[in-house]
Amino acid sequence: MNPTHDCGRRIEALSDYLDSGTSPDAEHIDYCPQCQAQLAGLRSLSAAALLMMDDDVASATADDTGWLDGIMANLRLESRAGRTIPLRGGELDELSETEGAVIALVRTVGDSLGGVLIGRCQLEGDVSVPGEPVEVKINVSARYGHPLPELAQTLRDAVFAELLVETELNVTAVHVAFTDIRPPVIGNGSGESGKGRS
Amino acid sequence: MKQLQDLPHKLADAPDAVLAERAGDGNVAAFEMLARRHAPLMRAYARRLVNSHAEADDVVQDALIAAWKDIAHLQDGTAAKAWLMRIVSRRAVDTGRRRKSHDNLDDQPEAEAILPTPEQAAVAGSARLALNTALSRLPEEQRRCWVLKELGGQSYEEIAQALGISAASVRGRLARARTTLMKEMEEWR
Ligand SMILES: [Zn+2]
Repeated sequence: MNPTHDCGRRIEALSDYLDSGTSPDAEHIDYCPQCQAQLAGLRSLSAAALLMMDDDVASATADDTGWLDGIMANLRLESRAGRTIPLRGGELDELSETEGAVIALVRTVGDSLGGVLIGRCQLEGDVSVPGEPVEVKINVSARYGHPLPELAQTLRDAVFAELLVETELNVTAVHVAFTDIRPPVIGNGSGESGKGRS
Repeated sequence: MKQLQDLPHKLADAPDAVLAERAGDGNVAAFEMLARRHAPLMRAYARRLVNSHAEADDVVQDALIAAWKDIAHLQDGTAAKAWLMRIVSRRAVDTGRRRKSHDNLDDQPEAEAILPTPEQAAVAGSARLALNTALSRLPEEQRRCWVLKELGGQSYEEIAQALGISAASVRGRLARARTTLMKEMEEWR
């Protein structure tokens, strides 16, 4: 750097220019060799940072491969209960199930269908009052190649049927929203493309 | 019984947003898939923010526990990765704060050197190795600002909040860090 030609621009201003792409001082910066050299330095610093991060991730993956399993085992994740849904329990008035259990049931039913992966599932309505109408809203990630209207209908039927058998909810509607389409699996021999429920 | 043998297969290529939605509904398998997908990045990032690998692993574990508790409130599942990185930032900074109040050390650069692999050492003199060395010599406060910004992609405001300093100080520390790093890297060329 030549001190006799120091234009006095600070590294902060140049960083901001690099981050935002605009600067009130752009006319100077764009034509000042000293600023351009600093910008080039900042750019190669960012590039080196990305490369270093790639190396770091590779090392983090390579070091003792068991760490992730260990962490997962230590998490001991407790499932979420959600609201309490009363059941007609004969002698035992306190019988109930949880909203979380019902949502897990919907997920299991949906996931078992070829091409369907359930996302968010919500029960709308007052599930704590027996007989109240409840609508089920389901987000679905679909596998490419499955006609969506048929997939939606199959899913609706399956969820209706399962909730009728397994719960006492008064399900009045099952809404299915497709949130994304995933590409087909190459060489998938596991039968996901099959007709679904056996 | 239903056919669920495809499930791991389906979860494996599910977008983050779908995994985050399921995890928010309490699906442990989806959360684990999301965690496994991003854990190496979280670990690498944590190692740059704290001073030992053991501490970094604790940070990742704490961050994942916090993430599980909070994921139902994550509005935009497509931003799950950035969200996890923010949680790691907060946990790592808290860890440093706790350690400092415990052993009352000076603000020395004390990062555990992240040793290069043989392949990396083979290209010794490369920009990233130079950066690695220069980074470990930075004062901790500057190093943290730089890592949070450059590797964590956080805004000045987010960094300021995490470190409990003003956004203006973040800007200043970042500038000093960048100036030093650029200078040291030039000497390697
Ligand atoms: Zn200039």
